[in-house]
Amino acid sequence: MFCEKAYTLIKELSRSEDTLPPYNTELVTAVINETKHLRDQNEEDAHTSNNDDSNAGTSLLPTVRIRHAAVKRNVRCLLAYHYNRIRCLRTMRWEFGSILPADIKSNLSASEIEWFSRYSRTLAAYMRSIGEEGVNLAVDLRPPKAMYIEVRCLTDYGKFELNDGSVILLKKDSRHYLPRAECEELIRQGVFQHID
Amino acid sequence: MNIDIDINFSDNLEASVDEDDEIQLTPAEAIALMEEAWINEKFAPEILPHKLELVECLLGQISYMEDNLRSLNSTDFKKIIHQLEVDRLRFLISSYLRTRLEKIETYVMPILDEENERIQQGVELYLTKQELKFAKDFAEDLQHHFDNITTTRLPREEWNQECVKPNIHSFVFLKSKEEVEGIVIDDGNDEDGDLVDLNRGSQMIISYKSVANLVKNGDVHLI
Repeated sequence: MFCEKAYTLIKELSRSEDTLPPYNTELVTAVINETKHLRDQNEEDAHTSNNDDSNAGTSLLPTVRIRHAAVKRNVRCLLAYHYNRIRCLRTMRWEFGSILPADIKSNLSASEIEWFSRYSRTLAAYMRSIGEEGVNLAVDLRPPKAMYIEVRCLTDYGKFELNDGSVILLKKDSRHYLPRAECEELIRQGVFQHID
Repeated sequence: MNIDIDINFSDNLEASVDEDDEIQLTPAEAIALMEEAWINEKFAPEILPHKLELVECLLGQISYMEDNLRSLNSTDFKKIIHQLEVDRLRFLISSYLRTRLEKIETYVMPILDEENERIQQGVELYLTKQELKFAKDFAEDLQHHFDNITTTRLPREEWNQECVKPNIHSFVFLKSKEEVEGIVIDDGNDEDGDLVDLNRGSQMIISYKSVANLVKNGDVHLI
């Protein structure tokens, strides 16, 4: 069946909602090859029907149309697959910052890694250009409720310097009462857990 | 297709100051305007005209307040309260700018097209210079990424230009600040729309397209 592979590609992506599955090079290539094959066949048939004035020429029309629809659908699916992966990557840029964790990076295609670094650069340039000194939009993601929050440290992070210059030692399972603004990034990185 | 919830209650917080005029705003008024812009931006399906002056004015306010805070003793209770206030303000602005960025990313092609049209007509632009640059770079990166997949192995197809557009007919809640008469209800069907009048302070659910202009010139605000 035409387009079955493209459909599998989309299904694979939509099944894993929050995580990014490995880039399916094999299937993408297969879909592209199928599309190419269909196009070649169409071109051939179009050529035949142009040269042939008899009924045989027009009888090819339905076949050509169906192939054309299949090509269209394949391209659409390919774009949807790539676009939605990009959207997911974009969310990760906001969550993890400009450096991707290695396990996610291994799931990306070369072009996606390139896109990610370009996006990071564009975003950073934009954030620098707001106001006089620039604004970091990646912090203050949630409306602040209280100045200080209680957090539990999940890993042996080591020393951490606060904005006022004091240094605290973050050990696994230790609890701290810290300014929210300074914890936010560590919470997102999974170093801290917020205790309500 | 619209439901008029005619609740008339006085709202003292409304500051109907026209930003085009150079009017001195108190910080409280500026914050109220910013909040309104933020909520409008959050609920409107399309991108709204930028409020660069307001944002810059408040950013200046923030750094001024932070300078003052630094001189306070860190054990002072007042400092904590003020710091929280600064944080809230900062959240307001970042969230506003983030919302705009999200819209720019999602609807990058239509937004760029509309913006180009505005440049050609010489009317006021909706994006700030920085946002426009961001939008252009973003569009270019995306195109580059798609080209990597398609053109190396497939000739570029004409139909890959079908892109996401904002649904300007989606329904929004609004509250009126002025008396507005004769709004044509435009819900995307080709039928002749009914007319509706808005009283000051009345609330309504209506398709966004019908009131887009009113939201932009500040006669109504979204809730």
